[in-house]
Amino acid sequence: MTEKRSLTRMSRRRLLGNGLRGVGAVAIGLPLLEEMMLSSAAAATADVPVRAFNIFFGLGIPAPLQNEGYEGVLEPLKPLADKLQILRGVDQVRCDESGINAHFDGASGAFTAEPPDGEARAGGPSIDQVIRRAHYPQGLPAGMVPTLVGGTFFRRSRVSRYVHSYNMDGTVAATMQEKPRDVFERVFGTVSRSGEKKDWIQQRLRRSVLDSVVDQYKHFSGRNSPLGATSRARVADHLERIREYEQRAYEMQARSEDAPPLPPRSKLLHGGVADPGGEGIDITLEQLTSEWRLMADLYALAIEMDRVRFGSLTFLAAGERIRLTGDYRYADRKVFEFDDARQHNASGSKGCSHEWWHQFNPKKDNVELRAHAHLKMREIGYFLQRLADTRESNGRSILENSLITISTESGDGRHNDVKRELSGVFHAITGANGRFKTGDILDVGAEGIDVYNTLLKGMDVDHRLGPQKRSPTTIDQLLV
Amino acid sequence: MIGYSKMRIRWQYLLVWICLSPLAPTSGAADGSRVTQGLSVLYDFREESGQVIHDRSGVAPPLNLSIGNPDAVRWETDGLVIHRQTKIVSQRAATKIVAAVKRSGELTVEVWMQSKDLSQSGPARIVSLSGDATHRNFTLGQDRRKFDVRFRAAETSENGLPSTATPDNHVRKSLTHVLFTRNRAGETRIYIDGDQVVRKRNAGSLSNWDASFPLLLADEATGQRSWRGTLRLVAIYHRALTKAEVQKNFRVGAQADAAPQQASTRENWFARAAPILVEHCVECHDAPTRNGGLDLSHRTSALAGGDSGPSIQPGDPRDSFLMHTIESNDMPQNRPPLSAEEKEVLKQWIANGAHWGREYLDPVLYSHNAPAHQERWVQRLTAEEYVAAVQAAVGVDVSDVAGEILPADLRADGFSNTAYNLNVDLKHVEAYARLAEIAVQRMDVGQFAKRFDKSRKFTDKTMGKLIENMGRWILRGPIEAHEVIAYRGISTTVASAGGGYEEAVGLIVEAMLQSPKFIYRVENQRGDGTAWPVSDYELASRVSFIVWGSPPDQELFQAASDGALQQTAGLNRQLDRMLTDPRAAERARQFVSQWLNLDSLDNLRPNRERFPNWDPQLAQDMKRETLAFFEQVAWTEDRPIADLLVAQVTFATPELAKHYRLRAKPAPADARPTTTGGADLHSRLMRYDLQADPTRGGLLTQGSVLTIGGDNASMVTRGLFVLHDLLRGVVKDPPPCVDTTPVPTEPGLTQRMIANARIKNEACGGCHAKFEPLAFGLERFDGLGTYSEQDVHGNRLLDEGRVLFPGEADSVAYRSSAELMKLLAENQRVQESLTWKVTQFALGRPLTIEDATVIEKIHREAQANGGSYRSLLKEIIKSDLVQLTATEIDSASDAGFPKTTK
Repeated sequence: MTEKRSLTRMSRRRLLGNGLRGVGAVAIGLPLLEEMMLSSAAAATADVPVRAFNIFFGLGIPAPLQNEGYEGVLEPLKPLADKLQILRGVDQVRCDESGINAHFDGASGAFTAEPPDGEARAGGPSIDQVIRRAHYPQGLPAGMVPTLVGGTFFRRSRVSRYVHSYNMDGTVAATMQEKPRDVFERVFGTVSRSGEKKDWIQQRLRRSVLDSVVDQYKHFSGRNSPLGATSRARVADHLERIREYEQRAYEMQARSEDAPPLPPRSKLLHGGVADPGGEGIDITLEQLTSEWRLMADLYALAIEMDRVRFGSLTFLAAGERIRLTGDYRYADRKVFEFDDARQHNASGSKGCSHEWWHQFNPKKDNVELRAHAHLKMREIGYFLQRLADTRESNGRSILENSLITISTESGDGRHNDVKRELSGVFHAITGANGRFKTGDILDVGAEGIDVYNTLLKGMDVDHRLGPQKRSPTTIDQLLV
Repeated sequence: MIGYSKMRIRWQYLLVWICLSPLAPTSGAADGSRVTQGLSVLYDFREESGQVIHDRSGVAPPLNLSIGNPDAVRWETDGLVIHRQTKIVSQRAATKIVAAVKRSGELTVEVWMQSKDLSQSGPARIVSLSGDATHRNFTLGQDRRKFDVRFRAAETSENGLPSTATPDNHVRKSLTHVLFTRNRAGETRIYIDGDQVVRKRNAGSLSNWDASFPLLLADEATGQRSWRGTLRLVAIYHRALTKAEVQKNFRVGAQADAAPQQASTRENWFARAAPILVEHCVECHDAPTRNGGLDLSHRTSALAGGDSGPSIQPGDPRDSFLMHTIESNDMPQNRPPLSAEEKEVLKQWIANGAHWGREYLDPVLYSHNAPAHQERWVQRLTAEEYVAAVQAAVGVDVSDVAGEILPADLRADGFSNTAYNLNVDLKHVEAYARLAEIAVQRMDVGQFAKRFDKSRKFTDKTMGKLIENMGRWILRGPIEAHEVIAYRGISTTVASAGGGYEEAVGLIVEAMLQSPKFIYRVENQRGDGTAWPVSDYELASRVSFIVWGSPPDQELFQAASDGALQQTAGLNRQLDRMLTDPRAAERARQFVSQWLNLDSLDNLRPNRERFPNWDPQLAQDMKRETLAFFEQVAWTEDRPIADLLVAQVTFATPELAKHYRLRAKPAPADARPTTTGGADLHSRLMRYDLQADPTRGGLLTQGSVLTIGGDNASMVTRGLFVLHDLLRGVVKDPPPCVDTTPVPTEPGLTQRMIANARIKNEACGGCHAKFEPLAFGLERFDGLGTYSEQDVHGNRLLDEGRVLFPGEADSVAYRSSAELMKLLAENQRVQESLTWKVTQFALGRPLTIEDATVIEKIHREAQANGGSYRSLLKEIIKSDLVQLTATEIDSASDAGFPKTTK
C-alpha cells in the first residue's frame, strides 16, 4: 500500500495550547513537532489512513446495566452516541478456560475471541494487529510506532489482564508503556547517539553501519533466511523497530529550539512495586484521573499526529484491585463519594472496588458498582472526545475515521456461572470511515468471534479469527 | 486466585506431532520394519508401470524420478529392470538431499539390486548425484566386479576422487544389498549384505556440495556411463546408519513394505484422547479422588473400572460405561459437557482398543498447547547473555551501561529466558546501537584486528579476509559472502571519506555487534520437516550458552572447527573443562535466580505495623543467601541437586541471622565464606551449619522462598509453590464464586485450621488437599521467614502434615519440617521436577509432552551419574533436545500474514 498521510494540518499553537488539555497546567513536550507537522502536511491527501485501536477497561459492565442505555452508566458516552455503536448481547463463552475466571480468560478473549495460550500469550491475534498486517504488509511508514500498547494498571500477574494487542502468533504486539513518560518517549522521543561528531562525514559513516545492519535483518527475515517462519517474523519485527530507529536517528535531527519539557513524572507506583502482593492499592480519584488523562492525552496526541495507527489502551487491568477514595462529580453534579474500603467495611483485597462486581445483584441498586463503571466511561469518553475533536481531510474526525473497539473482561462479575460471566460482554465500536453503522444500541445476540470477524470483513481483511473450519456468521447489522 | 493450569489442549497438534515429530523415538523402527530416521528419499519400484518412480520417503518435498526412455526398462512386481541405456533423473534438483547432507556431514546410500552384466565399468552409474561425468556430490557405481563410491568432500576432487571401492567379486547377478555410509568424522564404509567389506577415510567438510545437481539412476547426467540391471530399492539417508541398522535393513529384505509407517492408529487415538481425559475427567477421577471408585489417571485402574464395574470396554464404545455417561452429558458433573468432537475422539479411541501410551496420565504433560515443532522461536540473547557475549567477542565489559539502558527481560512460564517472550522494542534497538558504539570506544581496535589479519589494508582482498575471520569469531560461526559484502560497504565508505583503517574496523565491529547473528542465536531451522543434527558451530553455541550463558571461547570454537564436538570424547572433554569455569557457576546462579524469581524480593514491602523491625536490606540478604547456598551445595560440593531441599547449611549476614533467630556471627570487614564467588555475592555472608538446628535447612526454609506467602504466610501460595515447582502438580483455579480473600488468624484459629477447613469443604477440598498440606511443614515460619512456635495470638504452631505426590493414591505423613524436606528430596517425582526445571532453563522454552521421553532419559542418565547440576547439564547437552534441531519444510515466506481483499 502506498503510504498517504492525511492529517489535516494543525497549528503548532493549537497543539501546544490544547494538545494535552487534560493535564491542566502541565505542559507536555513535543521535541519533534516541527518536522512531524511538516511531513504530515506535505503528504496530506484526501484519503485517511487505516487505524485500529482496542480500548479495554477492567471489570466490565454487567449486562443488566447495559440495558439502561445512555441513561445509566453509559451516560458519559452519550455526547458521542452518533459516533458509536453500542453492542449488547456479545457472547465470549468460547474464551472460557475451564477452571479459570473471566479476569484472565475473558480479558484475553477481548479483541481476540480466543482463550489465553499460557501466561504471557493470547490464543490468537487481536483484531488491530490482523488489520495492521493486512493493510500494511510491508510495515508502517518509516519512523511511525508500529503498535502502541499503553495503559494504567497496577495488578499484573498474567499478561492478558492488561495487554490488549497481540501478534498473529498470540505474543504481545509491543511492550506495555505504563508510565506516561514512557508513552511520550516511545512516541515522540529521539534516540540517543551520543559520542558522535555532528559533521556530515560522521553522519555518513554511521549511516553506513546502520545500512549494513538493516541488510542483515532483511536477509534473516527474508526468503533466504535459514530461520523458520516464526523466527523470521520475530526478526521482521526487529527490523521494523530498526527502521523506526533509523528514521528517528537520521531523519528527525532538527529539534525545536523551544521544545517543551517532558511530561511530569507519574506520582503513582508502576512496575513490580505497584501492587506486589496483588492485594490492592489505595488511590485517590484525583491521582487516578490525572494519570488516566495524561495517558489519554499522550495516546490521543500520538494518533492525531499520525505517529500511531494501531495498538491498545488499558483503563485498569482485568480484576484490578483498587481502594478508591474521593468525590466523583460529573456534569456539575456529585455522582458518588468513593471510599471502597470503608463502604465494604474491610481492608486488603476485600476492601477493593473489585468486590462490587462480585456482589452485583440485578435486583439491587449496585450504586457503588455503577459509580465505578460510570467513572470509567467518563474517562474513556474523554479519550474518545479527544479524537472526535480533530477533523481530517475527508471532513470526518479521527474518531469517526478509525476503528476503535471498546471492550472488557466479563458481562457479569459473579464467577459462579461461566456462561453468564462471559455473556453480554460490553462492546462498542466506531465507524471506521463509514465502514460500520453508528448511532444505535444494537442487541446483536452473537458471539464475539463473529463480531470481530465482521469487523475484519468490514475492514477488507481476509483473515478470520478462530478455528478455520468454523463457519463465520456475519453480523450484517454492523455493516453499512 | 489460587492456581493456574493450562488445560486447553489442541489435540490435533498432537496428532500431527505423532506423525511428523522429528524428535520422537523413531530411529530404531519397530522390529520387522526398516530404519526411518534420517531418511531423505526412498524408491521401492512398486509402480508396475509408467514413467515416474515415486519417492516414498514421506519426507517433503517428494523427489520423483522420470524415466527418459520407457522402452529401455521393464517393470516387475517389485522392481525395475533396466535393459538398455536410459537416463532416470529427478524432476527437480535434489536440494533436499544436498541441504540435509551438507548439514549433517553424513550420508547413507542403500541399494537392493542385481547386475545384468559383470563387465560393466566406468564405473557404470547405479545411483548418482552429479552434474556431469566429472562433477558430482556422490556416485555409487559398478566397476566390473567391484562397487565403487565417489564421494566429494573438502579433501577430494570435484569428481569425488579418490573413491571408496570394495574388493573384487562383490558385484553379483543375484540380489545384493549394497550400502555405503560416510560419517561426520570422515569414515566411509561399504557393506555388502550387512557385512562391512571396506572402510576408508574421506574427511573434510561438505560445503562444496552442489545443490543444483539432480539425482540419477542408471546413468550419468550427460550419458555414456549407463548401467544395466534390476533395482529393487534405493534409499538415501542424511546420516550414517550404524552397523546394527545396516544389518536390520538387510534382514528386513528388499521385499518388505519399505514406506515408513506412520505412528500406529492406536497411538494416534491415545494422543488425541489423553488430553480430553485430563481436561474433563481426571480432576474427579484421579488416584486420590477416585469419585465413584474410578481412577482414570492410570491405565490399570482405568481399565479395571470403578464402583459401577468396568468403565471402558476396549474395542467396544457402545458397551463402555464411560461413553454412556459422556454421551448423555451425565459426566462431567457440574462442568460443561464435552463437545461432539471430543466425544467422537473418545469413541474412536475406545473402538481402536483404548490403547494407553503411558501408565500414568500425567496432567502436567498436557499443560502446554503448542508443540515445539510448530513454533521455533529464534532465541534472542537475554540482557545478561548480551553483556557476556560482548565481553567474549571483543573483550569489553559494558554491563554498567547495559544495566541502565537495555530493557529487562520479562518472565514467561517461570523463566525470563523464554524465547517466545524475548521480543524487541525500540529501546532495545537504541540500546544495541549505543552499546556497540561504547564497546568499540572501549576496545583497542588495532590490536583486536591483528588477531584476524595483520595487513591493515583497505583492499578488497585483505579487508574481505579480515571481515571473514573477524565475523566468524564475533558472529559465532562462518559468515557468508553476502555478509562480507555488506560489511565491506562500511570500510569502503570510510575509505572514500578519508577515514583510517582502525576507524573502518571499529565501525564494522559496531555493525557486527548489532547483527541478528549476534543479537540472536541464529540457527538453521529450515529443511525437510525432520530433525537434523545441529551444525558444529550451532552445537558449540548451544553448549556454551547452556553452560555459561555466553558464547564459545576460543577453545570451544576451535573444537567446533575441528568437528571434535561431534565425537563423544571431544564433547566430554569440553564439558568437563567448561563446567569447572566460573562462568558456569554464574550461569547456575542465573538459573536459581530465575527459577525462584529472586528479583521479586526487590519488591518486598511488608506491612509496617505488623513488621516494624523489617529492614529492606534483609530482602537482599535473603536473595544472596539463596544464591550462596545454591552455589555451595549444587556447585562447590557438586551434590545431587535434590540436596538443595535438605542441605543443613546456609549463609547469612549477621542481620539476617538475627532475623532468623540463629546465633549471629559477627562479620569481619573482609569476611568471606568458604565458597568462591564474587565479592558482592558473599560480602558479609557467613556460613551457618544447621546440623544441630532441626528447625531450618534447605531451600524451602529460606526467606527467599518463605516470603512468597506474603505477610500472612499463605499456606495456599506456599503449598502451590511446592506443588507446581517441586511436584509438577496441576490444580485448576478455584471453583466459581469462591471467596479467595485470605482469612485472618485470631486467637484459637491458626492458618492450619483455616486450611483444614478449606480441605474439608466439599467444593474446595479436592484441590486444596493436594497442596495445602505441603505447606503445613512451614507453618512455624512467619511471612518473613522468622521461626516461631507460636503465632502473634499465642496459638501453638505445628510442623507436621502429609504429602500427596502426583499420581499416587495415598498421601504420606511427615512429623516435622525436616521430615517433609527429606521426603521431598528423596522422592523421584521431585527429582524429576528439578530435571524439568533445569532443562527448561537450558532450552529457553516451556517443555511439552513431546519432550517427555527424552527428558526421562536425561533424568535417568543424570541420576546414574550422581544427580548433580553438572551431571544434569551434561546429559541435557548430550540429548536429542540439544543435539538435534527440528526443521520445517520450506514454504513461501510471510505465510500467516493476512491479505486484504482489495
